Amino acid sequence: MTIKHRITPYVFLLPGLVFLAIWLVYPMGHSLWISLHDWKINPDEISPFVGLGNYVDTFTDSQFWRALKNTSMFALVTTIGQLILGVLVALMLNRIARGKVFFRVAYFLPVVTSWVVVSLIFRFLFNSDPSGMVNYLLVHGIKVLHSPISWLNNAETAWAAIYSLGIWKGIGFAMVILLAALQTFPEECYAAAAIDGASEWQSLRYITLPLLLPTIILVMVMLTIGAFQVYIPIALITNGGPLHRTEVVLSYMYDLAFHDLHYGSATAVSFVLAAIVFVISQAQLRLKRLSYTESVEGGA
Amino acid sequence: MKKLLYSTCILILIAGSLAACSGAGTPVTQPPNATGAPATEAPGAQPATEAAPATGEQVTLTFWHTYNEDSPENKMLVDTVIPMFEAKFPSIKIEPRIEQWPNFMQDLITQISAGVAPDLIRSDIVWVPQLADMGALVALDSAMPDFNELKANMFPGPMSTNLWQGVYYGLPLDTNTKVWIYNPEMYATAGIQDPPASMSDLLSQCEAFKAAYPEDYYFAGVDVTAWSILPWIWSMGGEVLSPDLTTATGYFNGPKTVAAYEQYLQLFQAGCIAPKVLGDGQDTYSGMAGNVYASLDDGPWIYPIVDGQAKGKKLGAALFPAGEAGSIDVVGGEDILLFKQSKHPQEAMEFIRFMLSDEAQLKMAEVGVMPVLSSLAQSDAIKNHPTFPIFMEQLKTSKARPSLPQWGDIDTIMSDAGQKILREEMTAQEALDAAAAEIDAKLNP
Repeated sequence: MTIKHRITPYVFLLPGLVFLAIWLVYPMGHSLWISLHDWKINPDEISPFVGLGNYVDTFTDSQFWRALKNTSMFALVTTIGQLILGVLVALMLNRIARGKVFFRVAYFLPVVTSWVVVSLIFRFLFNSDPSGMVNYLLVHGIKVLHSPISWLNNAETAWAAIYSLGIWKGIGFAMVILLAALQTFPEECYAAAAIDGASEWQSLRYITLPLLLPTIILVMVMLTIGAFQVYIPIALITNGGPLHRTEVVLSYMYDLAFHDLHYGSATAVSFVLAAIVFVISQAQLRLKRLSYTESVEGGA
Repeated sequence: MKKLLYSTCILILIAGSLAACSGAGTPVTQPPNATGAPATEAPGAQPATEAAPATGEQVTLTFWHTYNEDSPENKMLVDTVIPMFEAKFPSIKIEPRIEQWPNFMQDLITQISAGVAPDLIRSDIVWVPQLADMGALVALDSAMPDFNELKANMFPGPMSTNLWQGVYYGLPLDTNTKVWIYNPEMYATAGIQDPPASMSDLLSQCEAFKAAYPEDYYFAGVDVTAWSILPWIWSMGGEVLSPDLTTATGYFNGPKTVAAYEQYLQLFQAGCIAPKVLGDGQDTYSGMAGNVYASLDDGPWIYPIVDGQAKGKKLGAALFPAGEAGSIDVVGGEDILLFKQSKHPQEAMEFIRFMLSDEAQLKMAEVGVMPVLSSLAQSDAIKNHPTFPIFMEQLKTSKARPSLPQWGDIDTIMSDAGQKILREEMTAQEALDAAAAEIDAKLNP
């Protein structure tokens, strides 16, 4: 191979690598540098080096642990909710002959709608007033309540509003990917199962779900990573209240940076969160590989 | 090895996407500042005049403020006041920039860290110590030769909001305070003759009100932040901090502050104060416009807002009900601040002088912005203003919030304590004991 041939691929890679270095590697390295300092935002002032002090502060702050717990719960509840409903919707859409495009668009629409818009709508829906839409329906519509609920003034009910938004907005995303996977499954498997006398439930249980499992895990990884970065609905629906009980890691990080002006600590939190997401994603991907191996071996 | 490389790449990609959110400044290896002054110098010790350009050249000054785009205040500023200044100083052009309130500090911090702060801002009075503490502001008392003359003509309350560690970093631009705003129609229906003159009137008036309006609320508390709760504490003779601003223990958990919170709790439990105070519920202005709330502690901006929602709605105004220490409300308003990163400090100071002139202050007063000049207090424009007199009267006893860079943290601690008391998770004494200890830890880390 000539030198020209050896160099050519790198020439094509160079523009991408330059962009990567400027927009990712440098900011990332600089952020790491900030996380090791008591960072002063005024460039005229010296930022003292504090080593791992900001990381120690993060791990010893009870508010960080509460935010992490809330974020983890949000990830758990919304990911499971989106997956279950996404699978159901995908299975139903895969079966219907008419209106498939309409329903696909209808379910996917929330995914492409602005987080800001839907968060404000949910805030309006769950308003504590008697005129709030959810309260109105429960009190005057189906009459299951005597008086309105103060949805956003209590952590438990506020989370119910936030979880329902997270699940509703993500069903379409899970559905589209799972539906694409369902459409690749060979018809012959189902035909053979039918000849062997398998019921609908048995086909679902022993053919569809095992084949769908690697895709489900892939979607789970993506949804989990997204869920750990939840911020907008918290900021707009509860702003972390009441009493910081709906605070998540990113809102905690935002407050550290822009309210308390502790840039070093805020950046340290971002690295801690990245490490947590990395570990969880790795565990889920390992699960995917395991499930794939099992299904291949099972098939063999 | 391959796995390690792969894992490292994934970690970098994830961390990069997250770390980018936290914002950043410029590297510490940069020269300390434009004039070469040592970076460890005390904030404000270096006057910006050193960096002043030669006069006579055409310069543009950026001026950030938070007036809404369609507000009469913004129209007056942009269409009248700034053109008046530019006509007087043809070589100086003012470029106003509207900042949305919630984003103001975030945008400002980004600009400061990039070394391109605006020349001037109209700043909330509570931000002054924080910005001064980070060394971003010019100390006006040493930079402006005529500072003492300007200061002598200011109301002392608003002026005090510019002081941090014995140095004045700004000048008041406008001022305000809150008074007891009430719905005369609802009061009359409930048989309440006059607004409450003292704290002891509140419960009896509320009982009369609830008899006539069982579903509505006598008072709409916005929240339990310092801005909302301090009039109750101060009027009852309580305090948040010691006079030298070094400790909260003995003050924020002192008997008078505890009594103030207990009275507030009593009114809340009796259904006199709307649940909005806990964070969610009907907006205070629409509640006043829609006869859901009968009273509110609020500033002069309430009139156009309520009028916009209920045309011709009549609102009464009175001094905040007096407690043991009198009728004491909170001083609000904005200060004008000059940044060290300004390349045209001399021209910026001319704009400050103009904005504090009688003509500019009177123009802004036409659209409801209360002036800060004591020389205007007796002017016909102020005395005959339809809403200013009661606020000017209240300003005589109103107090400014403590001037500290940690004030944002203290405000959060106060708000959390208030929430715990109203939610009955802790008694007033327990919540304030814990909050006082927390504030002390912030003040003496």
